[in-house]
Amino acid sequence: MFLHILKYELKNGLRNKDLIIWLILFPIVLGTFFKIAFGSVYEKTEKFSTIPVAVVETAENQAFRQVLESIESADEPFLSASFVNKEKAEKMLDDGDVEGIIFSGDKLSLTVKEKGIQETMLSAFVKQYSVREKIATDALTAAPEKAQEVIAALTGETVSSCREIPLTQGNPDIYIQYFYNLIAMVALFGCMTGMHITITNQADLSALGARNNCSPAHKSLSVLAGFAGSCVLQTICMVICVTFLAFVLRVDFGDRLPLVYPAAILGGILGVAFGFFVGSLARVGEKAKTAILMTTTMLLCFFSGLMIGNMKAFVAEKVPWLNEINPAALTSDCFYCLNLYEDYDRFISKLITMAVITVIFIFLGFITSRRKKYASI
Amino acid sequence: MQVFKAMTRVMRKRLLSAMIYIIVFLVISVFIANVSNKDNKFELTKLRICVFDEDDTPESRALTEFIGKSNDLVELENDRDTMIDALYYMQVNYVLTINKGYAEKIAAGDTADLFGSYHIDESYSVVYMGQFLDEYTTSVKAYLAMGRTMDEAVAATEESLSQETQVDMLRVDKAGNSHFSVDFSMYFQYMPYVLVSAVMIVICQVLVTMSRKDIRFRTNCSCLRDSEYTFQLFFGSGLFVLGVWLLLMIVGAVINEEMYSGRAWLAVFNSLIFSVVVAAIAVFVSSFEPKDNVLNLITQILGLGMSFLCGVFIPTSMLSGSVLSAARFMPAYWYIKANNMIADIQPYSFEGVMKCYGVQLLFVAALVLLTLLVRRVKYSGAAIGTSVKKAAVS
Amino acid sequence: MSNTVVKIKDLVKRYGDLIALDHFSLEIEQGEIFGLLGPNGSGKTTTINCLLSLLSFDKGDIEIFGKKMTPVSYDIKKEIGIIMQNVAVFEELTVYENIDYFCGLYITDKAKRRACVEEAIKFVGLEDFRRFYPKKLSGGLLRRLNIACGIAHKPKLIILDEPTVAVDPQSRNRILEGIQQLNRDGATVIYTSHYMEEVEQICTRIAIMDKGRKVAEGTKDELKRMIKNTETITIEILELPEKVYGEISSLPHVYDTSHSDGKLSVYCSGGKHNLTRVLDVLQKNELGFGRVYTELPTLNDVFLEITGTALRDKED
Repeated sequence: MFLHILKYELKNGLRNKDLIIWLILFPIVLGTFFKIAFGSVYEKTEKFSTIPVAVVETAENQAFRQVLESIESADEPFLSASFVNKEKAEKMLDDGDVEGIIFSGDKLSLTVKEKGIQETMLSAFVKQYSVREKIATDALTAAPEKAQEVIAALTGETVSSCREIPLTQGNPDIYIQYFYNLIAMVALFGCMTGMHITITNQADLSALGARNNCSPAHKSLSVLAGFAGSCVLQTICMVICVTFLAFVLRVDFGDRLPLVYPAAILGGILGVAFGFFVGSLARVGEKAKTAILMTTTMLLCFFSGLMIGNMKAFVAEKVPWLNEINPAALTSDCFYCLNLYEDYDRFISKLITMAVITVIFIFLGFITSRRKKYASI
Repeated sequence: MQVFKAMTRVMRKRLLSAMIYIIVFLVISVFIANVSNKDNKFELTKLRICVFDEDDTPESRALTEFIGKSNDLVELENDRDTMIDALYYMQVNYVLTINKGYAEKIAAGDTADLFGSYHIDESYSVVYMGQFLDEYTTSVKAYLAMGRTMDEAVAATEESLSQETQVDMLRVDKAGNSHFSVDFSMYFQYMPYVLVSAVMIVICQVLVTMSRKDIRFRTNCSCLRDSEYTFQLFFGSGLFVLGVWLLLMIVGAVINEEMYSGRAWLAVFNSLIFSVVVAAIAVFVSSFEPKDNVLNLITQILGLGMSFLCGVFIPTSMLSGSVLSAARFMPAYWYIKANNMIADIQPYSFEGVMKCYGVQLLFVAALVLLTLLVRRVKYSGAAIGTSVKKAAVS
Repeated sequence: MSNTVVKIKDLVKRYGDLIALDHFSLEIEQGEIFGLLGPNGSGKTTTINCLLSLLSFDKGDIEIFGKKMTPVSYDIKKEIGIIMQNVAVFEELTVYENIDYFCGLYITDKAKRRACVEEAIKFVGLEDFRRFYPKKLSGGLLRRLNIACGIAHKPKLIILDEPTVAVDPQSRNRILEGIQQLNRDGATVIYTSHYMEEVEQICTRIAIMDKGRKVAEGTKDELKRMIKNTETITIEILELPEKVYGEISSLPHVYDTSHSDGKLSVYCSGGKHNLTRVLDVLQKNELGFGRVYTELPTLNDVFLEITGTALRDKED
């Protein structure tokens, strides 16, 4: 009996257009958009790479040329200069080929188009040049006898004063958290499949429910079979979603991809349980339930950062407990932990919280759907 | 005006979903308008920096203070996970540890290993601060080499590092005013997503309902003239689109606290043309009579797709060349292009803006032609063929 | 006692202030096709839903096969087949799969089930539509699928709640014949409808419901005997002098007459040769007339007379 209902639950689900559209197609499309949009933002704005600049020489400045040449000869140079005339330089700046134009003459000046870290670095570079000049003149005026030493101190091959301590081997791209939240959204969309368990089993919600109620199949058994079916369907959707992101879009989940799958699947089951619980609420029609579920899902995803990337950090600061119970945040945090943390403590505690919430929803769902007679149909 | 009346009734049902898009957009716009600074003058980026001072000497404190002058100092717990979180979500751009023995070492002229920096990636902040620290210590060393005392050296270093450099913004006149304020251009930049979502949700739904087979047949059988019917459909749809557009224009002026003037009118006109494009898209899509769920998917794909691919959500400069060349085939690309020109993000030329208008209008023409074609095919032979097949089944 | 399949005693169901069932009692014997007749909103579906333990009720007892019916009476449910007013099938499953699914809730043995499903498909004549999805079926075919889902497991008690709403006459006849066939095969049938002809055609015993109460019960003939009318005579006649009209009205057994649109209607109650007497009067007065026909009372007359009376009672 259990297998019979499960079999048809699966057949039914796999042919359901809504399921295919919203749990498979939509994430694929949205994921592709995310990839196109956010795929290179981090590399372009955060991750360091050589900054291209145009240099316009308004007057001969041999010293500056030398400085540039010595910088460019480094392994990973801080900037790469192209010497051009003013018109060409402005065109290059407009087209985004360079980040700034340095006018070199007696004095250096900088022209940029945007305000950002790259421009700040360029201005620091221009400043550094004048700082050195000032120190040298200071030395020459104050203590010319020590000028040689000072110049040595300034130009000597110095080891970097700062040692860098890497905190993680994971992917530091903040924009992949959009993909984390996309998976969390698909997981929570499982509530729609979850809701259908109760719709098809409650006589007051559908004619199908009435017919099922009249059959000799035990209600708890058919609800259980329906739940199992929904979980299987949701698992399929989660696997498709993660696989598509990881292997087709090549989103970097860190080096523990095999663990991403179970985390995503648990998130999906949590979604199903959530839908199952809301679906079992009495006296609420299918349309209202759908509306409740969709609104809650989108709200939870919003607070988890699906629409605005930094949302989770903002929530963590203002209402920290929300991140600890928001299923969307919990799910996406799992992937985050797998990506960035070396140990599994946080990951496991997230999984446990998710499991607890799932069990609570299932328990409440069973309690409320136990009602056998209805006041009205 | 029976058809029109029926339309408004169907519209009312969907209006709430459309309003959600509009309201969320306006709320975010208000938010952006409030946080953004209104001028286009260059300013240095302030980093959020956390300093763990393990040396705790006057020298190290002086350094911390100096860093704090041009950046924001943030306090963090000295815990690995906390630091990862903060760095990842960019709550903190740089975590610096001043190692024990900093004061002694620098006094001795040894600049190696003075600091430690926790990082999760080789980001611009890391490189920038690394250079800054090198520059600072080198300068101190140089001044010490001049024979100055430590205090003097630090003071002199701070003085020389605090020099101003001249930085100009491209194409902005020196007063720091562009022709079209940054806020306004942001407001117009995000508009396509709202227009597509809100208009598609309502107009497609209405048109699909009105042209559902049984309703269309019944209407065809009535004494209403065909042209009259079509006119009322267009009138109703047009009125709605115009209403949404007007609402956005009026609220835009209120939010940004300035009236439209000069080039801003070009942006206004640009958005009007885009509204017409969206209406044409909606009419075209609804001529396929998609089911509800398919319609929602199409709306999402069109809205999000155009927004992500054409530079609505993220500036065009972030998009790769191949994406942009694909985006040329979407009207939103030309809308954004015109908007960027008007806002001086790309070099402005009146002809350029006009060309963008023209391309958008070409899209409208193409969509209208396609719609007519689809309708002709659907409601003639092919349609009868399928209905005969259906009848044979039953 | 063993012959009583369904026993409803003093059933009361309220929806707030509205009394849907007012001390409704019913007994159905094995082998009957029991018709539950009543206008829309008279409480037929409510009765069925209470009977199936889907609805809670305020008062009363329900027994099926001599046992009290509860939501967990799975042994009782095993023997019931139910065909709802609304089509209750899965949109995403084919005709065959739908029947197999519902049959599978009753019969676990696979081989046996396959035979049952095939039989049900043949029974409702959907052999050519096995792989069709419900969406592609016409209204009549969909109703037939709905029925097949309810009867595939060969239940002993079949409950049909207006199974022929919006069905073309061809499908309707097929459905009605099918129900009689099922009954011949040993099933007890409860059939609700507001179509008099259907009930008249197939039901062995009928209860008439109005406003949550049972207003009449009996076989067709018993019910017809309950009303005054035994014969209605209709004669096409254009000109009818007042005198002749009065003469006809005062004939014995005639209790009502009317003349409009060139049609004379004479309602008779009992007696024989009523038609001859009416025609005699016309001939005597040398009046020409067109077509003449007489009708025996239908359940429709019974229904209108009984519920109409009930209505008037209340207004008085």
